[in-house]
Amino acid sequence: MKLFEYQAKALFESANIPVPNRVTIENDSEVDDAIRQVGLPCVIKAQVLHGGRGKAGLIQIAGEKEEVKEKVNEVKARSNHMPYLLVEEAVNIAKEFYVSMTAEPVTGDVMIMGSAEGGIDIEEVARTMPEKIIKTTVNVNEGLLPYQAREFLYDLGIENRMIGQGTKLLLNLYDVYWKHDAELVEINPLMVTEEGNFVAGDGKVTIDDNALYRHPQFSLTREHFEDDVQYAAAIEGIPYLQFSGDIGLMCAGAGLTNAVYDLVNDYGGSVASYLEFGGPNYHKAVKSMELIMQNEIKVLLVVTFGTIARADVMAQGLVDAIKEHQPEFPIVTAIRGTGEEAARDILQDFGLEPLSDTEEAVKQAIKLAGGIPIQ
Amino acid sequence: MSIILDEQTRVLVQGITGKEGSFWTKHMMDYGTNVVAGVTPGKEGQMVEGVPVFHTVKRATAKVEVDASLLFVPPKLAKDAVLEALDAGIKTIVVLCDGIPLHDTLQMRNAAKTKGAMVIGGNTSGIISMGKAMMGFFPHWLDRVYKPGKIGIMTRSGSLTNEVTAELVKAGFGASSLIGIGGDSVPLTRFAEVLPLFENDPDTEAVVIIGELGGTMEEEVAEAMENGVLTKPLVSFLGGRTAPKGKKMGHAGAIITAGKGTVEDKISALHGAGAYVAKKPRMVGELLNDIFIKQDI
Repeated sequence: MKLFEYQAKALFESANIPVPNRVTIENDSEVDDAIRQVGLPCVIKAQVLHGGRGKAGLIQIAGEKEEVKEKVNEVKARSNHMPYLLVEEAVNIAKEFYVSMTAEPVTGDVMIMGSAEGGIDIEEVARTMPEKIIKTTVNVNEGLLPYQAREFLYDLGIENRMIGQGTKLLLNLYDVYWKHDAELVEINPLMVTEEGNFVAGDGKVTIDDNALYRHPQFSLTREHFEDDVQYAAAIEGIPYLQFSGDIGLMCAGAGLTNAVYDLVNDYGGSVASYLEFGGPNYHKAVKSMELIMQNEIKVLLVVTFGTIARADVMAQGLVDAIKEHQPEFPIVTAIRGTGEEAARDILQDFGLEPLSDTEEAVKQAIKLAGGIPIQ
Repeated sequence: MSIILDEQTRVLVQGITGKEGSFWTKHMMDYGTNVVAGVTPGKEGQMVEGVPVFHTVKRATAKVEVDASLLFVPPKLAKDAVLEALDAGIKTIVVLCDGIPLHDTLQMRNAAKTKGAMVIGGNTSGIISMGKAMMGFFPHWLDRVYKPGKIGIMTRSGSLTNEVTAELVKAGFGASSLIGIGGDSVPLTRFAEVLPLFENDPDTEAVVIIGELGGTMEEEVAEAMENGVLTKPLVSFLGGRTAPKGKKMGHAGAIITAGKGTVEDKISALHGAGAYVAKKPRMVGELLNDIFIKQDI
């Protein structure tokens, strides 16, 4: 679960990581109060989860009160569904850095990455100038040690007089990473003020969904999602993605869903939505159908090949879902795995044709969507 | 011969008295697995399918010799159970559960390295040596899906494995051992770490890897091949070739991030190392046929 900038900065502040004075507002009636707290000029930032806010006009600087109000309304109009804006003091920046912490999957350590090229697209730097990325790994049983932080900061080119506060900042950031079960913590830009102080200019924190039970203070809200269907799916715990094609995919098993997604594209079809109702969700066919139907699709393609996720239970669920929701689009099924004989009977009795071959099912779905499968 | 597991391997089941634990213990024993003990705190003295249950792993290993442990525990308890098994000296551990917190996984991987143990999972169906033994859940009764043979298989996905093995069987092949390393972003054992075991297994004549977008595990396999770790033919099928960047495609590990993890990169690395790349599940069987015809000549 990604946190919004205002949430990440609240975490940073509670961990003694310096952040600018700021206030979260919902509309222009709060601007006067906001200015009293953060002063002028100030920065207005839309609280959305996608990157590229600057380019999209979702971060604006304003120098006087009327301008702040104007820009608040401008930013608000550009950020759909998101009620919150951050109004923040403008900091005099001398230099900007990048710093992040993530898991290093090969060794099982934590990877700290930094660059003196802050404030920009770090992926691009990593691709074109990998020598500009400084890395250090941390053993999870020992945690980040002060000498590692110092080494890292010197390698990053931090001035001698700032190594002490930089070390504290990194140790505190590691605490945020570890104590909150973060998959990612990132400060970009990590600003150095003209007075020679570090300030976190932005904050990205992603909390591991699997560990959210240990952090009940964070919960998914509608603002985390682009639309109602994706929100409803997440609340049900059903992996769901939306695209703009014709065929709705309802598959059990993430790997198989991926493979079917490729086959649809390879044979010249297009995917409208991707819903994975395997694992613990295999008895949720009715709910899954409800989600799929909220999207416009031309055909529904159901493909499974599971062991624990039983074919007969999913076939029965599908039949129940059709009875309940009466979808108007045609449905193609290839439901295999444990209990497939019973599944075959259930589908046949209901008038659906049980296919056993995945590629055949994909081709049939494309035909029913009005396309011609590429051979 | 098989890798990691055969009918001689003495298997402990942690969480044996639970619904899934007892159900799959029976399946495993029916298949030939040598289950020698179970652990469920508070249930010592009970029997499951004739197997004695102990309160703790140490109490079990004090009475019964154990080679490997299989966990049927919820994700919240996985770390504790793995550390308990490692502490009792068990060197092969299979963790099936889906949804283990990432930081717990990092700690488990670290502990396994320190103890020189192989912990496999999470989010996997487990491991099976065809016709001999299994630790996990596999539809072994579907003989159009699972047949003993000479192909070693490593996979990141259970459902896709059934799809691919069915194609493999259709093409006239079977598997020696199949290792599900799971779909997490940090698997406790990586493809490249299993590769040498298949290389050294005389009953494995070729290796199939079933991978997908995300991470760098397939690239590590390519690197290992280039370093001569694997000299047997390798066929790969990778899912998510057409997936868009930045979307988490079902599995936690199946996401393209920071310019890494595209199937395109993986394919080019594998091609470069001399691996065969199947574009569709069906092509895995076709490519194997090509390879073995070539070898006969």
